[in-house]
Amino acid sequence: MILVIAEQRGGALNRASWEAIAAAQQLAGDLPVSVAVLGSGVDALAGELAAADVAEVIAVDDPLLSGYTPDAVAMAIEGLVAARTPGTVVLPHTYQTRDCAPLIAARLRRPLVTDVTAIKGTGASATFVRQMFQGKLTAEVAPIGDAPVFVTVQVGAFRADAVRRGSGAPVSRVSVAIDAGRIRQTTEAPFQEAAQAVDLGQADRIVAVGRGIKAQEHVALAASLATAMRAELAASRPICDNGWLPMDRQVGSSGQTVAPKLYVALGISGAIQHVVGMKAARTIVAINKDADAPIFEVADYGIVGDLFEIVPALIAALET
Amino acid sequence: MDRETLEVDVLIVGGGPAGMAAALRLAQLQQAAGGEPLAIAVLEKAREAGAHVLSGAVLDPSALADLVPDYASRGAPLAAPVADDRVYYLTGRRQLRFPFVPPPLRNHGHYVVSLNALVRWLAEQVEAAGVDLFTGFAGQDVLMDGSRVVGVRTGDRGVARDGSRKAAYEPGVDILAKVTIFADGVRGHLTKQVLSRVPALQDGREPQQFAIGIKELWELPAGRLAPGSVIHTLGYPLRHEEFGGGFIYGLPDNQVSLGLVCGLDYRDPRFDPHMAFNRFKQHPLVAGILEGGTLVRYGAKALPEGGWNTIPRHYLDGALLAGDAAGFLNSMRLKGIHLAMRTGMIAAEAAFEAVAAGDTSAAGLARYQEKIDRSQVRAELFPVRNVHQAFGHGLLAGLVFSGLTVLTGGRWFEDLRGHAGHARMKTLAWYYGRRSGAAVASNATPIDRRTTFDRVTGVHYAGTAHDEDQPVHLLVQTDVCRSACGPEYGHPCTRFCPAHVYEIRPGPDGRPSLQINASNCVHCKTCDIMDPYQAITWVAPEGGGGPQYTGM
Repeated sequence: MILVIAEQRGGALNRASWEAIAAAQQLAGDLPVSVAVLGSGVDALAGELAAADVAEVIAVDDPLLSGYTPDAVAMAIEGLVAARTPGTVVLPHTYQTRDCAPLIAARLRRPLVTDVTAIKGTGASATFVRQMFQGKLTAEVAPIGDAPVFVTVQVGAFRADAVRRGSGAPVSRVSVAIDAGRIRQTTEAPFQEAAQAVDLGQADRIVAVGRGIKAQEHVALAASLATAMRAELAASRPICDNGWLPMDRQVGSSGQTVAPKLYVALGISGAIQHVVGMKAARTIVAINKDADAPIFEVADYGIVGDLFEIVPALIAALET
Repeated sequence: MDRETLEVDVLIVGGGPAGMAAALRLAQLQQAAGGEPLAIAVLEKAREAGAHVLSGAVLDPSALADLVPDYASRGAPLAAPVADDRVYYLTGRRQLRFPFVPPPLRNHGHYVVSLNALVRWLAEQVEAAGVDLFTGFAGQDVLMDGSRVVGVRTGDRGVARDGSRKAAYEPGVDILAKVTIFADGVRGHLTKQVLSRVPALQDGREPQQFAIGIKELWELPAGRLAPGSVIHTLGYPLRHEEFGGGFIYGLPDNQVSLGLVCGLDYRDPRFDPHMAFNRFKQHPLVAGILEGGTLVRYGAKALPEGGWNTIPRHYLDGALLAGDAAGFLNSMRLKGIHLAMRTGMIAAEAAFEAVAAGDTSAAGLARYQEKIDRSQVRAELFPVRNVHQAFGHGLLAGLVFSGLTVLTGGRWFEDLRGHAGHARMKTLAWYYGRRSGAAVASNATPIDRRTTFDRVTGVHYAGTAHDEDQPVHLLVQTDVCRSACGPEYGHPCTRFCPAHVYEIRPGPDGRPSLQINASNCVHCKTCDIMDPYQAITWVAPEGGGGPQYTGM
């Protein structure tokens, strides 16, 4: 028997669950396929899954499964495996599976074949195709070890619309023992990662500092000019290498590429690696002690002089 | 930690001319023999085949013709047949044309090529023959069982600068092979491991000697230099005590390859090969050609110059050494591509026969040596075995000896001895006495940013890129930078590195402190070779990183 673990979150099935069912149907040959859905209040989802041509849909309903934790899911699957003794357990290779499948396989000491892209043959003699070397080589894996074999299928490798439909599979409820005391994780509300704090690409005005600023304490001077100009603060590579400003403020070939209306380069010599990141700026102002610095070749306005005299004067002029 | 392992019959480390020729020869032998196909894998650290190779290059097509007899109809990118050979001796402001071209430098029947293009084309032939190329994967460690090479471990991916594992961490794979062919190029970091773990390979051999070649590709106003023009120079900007010379090769589409080769056995600790290259470009002969042109690409690569007597024994239990990794280069003819290909092909034949016979021990692979001894490789290299060593006595001695070699077919009383180049570098006090002055380049010349550039600009034109968040791949396990090196040699790493990887900055305590700009590295290996303390070890950065040479 082949057991598919469908994945759901918040009452909606992950589309990849259908792909896992398609893979299981192909793998099964003459063997029956069962689909399990784990969660709290999953009757509706079980009904949805019953549309597939499978022998049985199993609803594992437990309040401890209401939010995802790897320990609870592992215990639930462990219980399911004991109750139904499948030959193969198929899961979609989702983030959640990546998290919990190794745990389950290790706990049961069973083989795990991950990120499978194709299945050759059926039943116990099937082999599984997976990629190695970032897709440069495909390997055919024949698992060794006691059943069940855990197989995760690559998202998109099997077609959800290829699932054979049936006339309504029977739904049964299985309760498994989940020991709340053995759940080591707690679930937080899902969050979206905040956008990058600094998006220099959006800035209209940028004040950038280079090695000419000499010491970390002087970066504040450039920051004051940026504030006075309502500009973003950026830097060339050495400043970020030294940790004087964070990496996300680096402009150049190993940092961001920017095209502001105004770019003020303070003590930046103008190495080509920096220039490729800012030459599209509409107006470039360069302040540098070295009249031969290549930054003056791209600058619209240049001041040859000591930035420690010029910048305070600029700030004073802007603030009056 | 469990690593994946992959078992193959033959593993080829390095996808340059030697490795590609070996792979293609193996595929051909297998096709001819029929039966169960061999499992063959080629590891190449560049993201794309051919992106890390660098050469002049004038190709002697003899090995190519034997490997792919119909190379012309298969579209081999041989840019231009050599039409015109010229040799000059340069002084600071003038040039003296040799009245005749010395026989080793006659290139009739040869081609000016881009080695990147040639290797990319070879890679297509190899893949069409059904061999797996793993580009973007660097070998990191040689796997040995006692004195037997059993394979190579590829580098881990997704390791952060501080050594911690990033989200995309992927451990390296152990590739186990019956025969491993090391074709990892000049001063290959895996060949270096093999040589240090099996010291017997160098018994009775002279130390290898190296040079650094710095090269640029330019686009010129139309009609400046005809395609197929080959110019070699001796003399300026090098002094008689410094080995090397310049080259200028005309390519189609108004492009020109030019470069300077400097022996990595110079004595002046303040000598700077990059400055020498800039001086070469400032010489009226070269400046006249470059005037009004634009720089397209920049690159650098070391080359093995020592010749026959410096080549280590190139077979051992489970492994063979081929191409520049072993030192198969003819420094008198300034050519190595054909020898790299030829030794790759012979290595493939020896490996194929050894696998078929079921004996891949050193005894089973010794046939490689026998085949090389009977091949054009020895016929070409043996007579000139002393020439590079003669240049160790100065330009004049080298030239006279080269001439004698041509006349006598290489007969000489006793083979000349050589020295490891780094050991010839003198201290500031020895070389300059009390007037050593500031540790700046002795051959410094101002740049004009039209024909001459600083190293950092060169790095940009090398297209070099590495994931910034990875461990530094230049291991400098010494405190000598902060203590002895300044007074003794004046930090020569800041001069011999052509990519501004090494920078000395005052540390928080005021003493000099080494900053390694590892992501600038163009994988030329010069630092690993020339550091007078031999404290720098080049290891492979994460696969895929490095220069992006095209048309070079």
